[in-house]
Amino acid sequence: MIRPATAARFRPGDAVRVPNVEKKGHVRTPEYVKGKRGRVTGILGGFPDPESLAYGGAGLPEKPLYRVCFRQTDLWEGYAGPPGDTLHVDIYEHWLEPAIEES
Amino acid sequence: MSENGHEHEHGHPHAEPKHETSPWAARIRAVEELLAEKGILTHEEVEAQIEYMEARSYENGARLVARAWTDPGFKELLLRDTKAACSQLGIDASGTVEFVTVENTPATHNLIVCTLCSCYPRAILGRPPDWYKSPAYRSRAVVEPRAVMREFGLEIPEDTSVSVHDSSADVRYLVLPMRPPGTEGMTEDELADLVTRDCLVGTAVPREPARV
Amino acid sequence: MTGIHDMGGRREEFGPVDKSQHELEDWERLADAVNYVLNAKGHKTTDEMRRAIESLREYREMSYYERWAAAAEALVVEKGLLTQEEIDERAAALERRWESG
Repeated sequence: MIRPATAARFRPGDAVRVPNVEKKGHVRTPEYVKGKRGRVTGILGGFPDPESLAYGGAGLPEKPLYRVCFRQTDLWEGYAGPPGDTLHVDIYEHWLEPAIEES
Repeated sequence: MSENGHEHEHGHPHAEPKHETSPWAARIRAVEELLAEKGILTHEEVEAQIEYMEARSYENGARLVARAWTDPGFKELLLRDTKAACSQLGIDASGTVEFVTVENTPATHNLIVCTLCSCYPRAILGRPPDWYKSPAYRSRAVVEPRAVMREFGLEIPEDTSVSVHDSSADVRYLVLPMRPPGTEGMTEDELADLVTRDCLVGTAVPREPARV
Repeated sequence: MTGIHDMGGRREEFGPVDKSQHELEDWERLADAVNYVLNAKGHKTTDEMRRAIESLREYREMSYYERWAAAAEALVVEKGLLTQEEIDERAAALERRWESG
């Protein structure tokens, strides 16, 4: 963690899913991870909410920001690389929901 | 020293411009003049910011890498707290932006991109290269990183995983590359010379020095 | 609908990465610096800037610092720091001066 975070909902190792929803305004969650499952690898800390900052707001309360790891083969159909290749995106807590663990 | 080996003098930004090719050249000058006239900013503040950015280059990153290669304690600090590591080398990376350094290993090669804009660790490395800001790099680095790196002449073996980092939010990433073989006994400055700008983004790796 | 700026994975739209580097012009350094100074002095935030850039109708046709210049202009007008009329007027005057000079 590089900044202190308020009570964080997820822990490293948690399986998460990015909700596949459209949201108007300024969003820092890239389209290509929407609806995809990943795993939390770290908590970066609490940061002002960019969706509020972008319109002159104070961005409060701060949102926990997570490092989320996705398997490339889960993101792209026909991914041209070995199954171990990963993609890491920083995602604010309100853009994550718990995912059911795969057995 | 700039990266192609010679200095570029930049004109005084308030001197009469030459060869300004964009209609936005006059518009941003108009904005800056008017803001200064209204006391919202001063020409001196703008000048100081230009100097600040001109003073930054990937060579700061090369120094961080060379020190990390020669000092395990520093490497641990760089990976845990990049700002603190910068501060130890006299690199001013203070400010609200956060930095994370990711380490290349025989098992993992890291590649940095920003798909939503062009986030880059500017306070450390200076302005990003044009290709980093290009739609081609921003769109393709996440979906076909190996093909993109191949275009840069970098082939990552199949038994090394590629980790792509999309710096979508408040953190800027830089890569700590692996120290190449054949560099035992080299000084820190000599090691820093092996680290190019692209090594710090992940589109290149430091090469073993050519035998003279 | 994916925003114009949200480029990740849209590989079919773009070819090989062009690795050539252009020499920065003075106005580009100025656009860069004006934005940083306005942020540092609390007149706008990085996210307002990103939002303004994403909202540019000509996003794809503009160069990187053209987007910065355009977004800075839009934000100083939005925030009431300057009016569109005074910017237009001053820019036209500068253009005239450069052409005659």
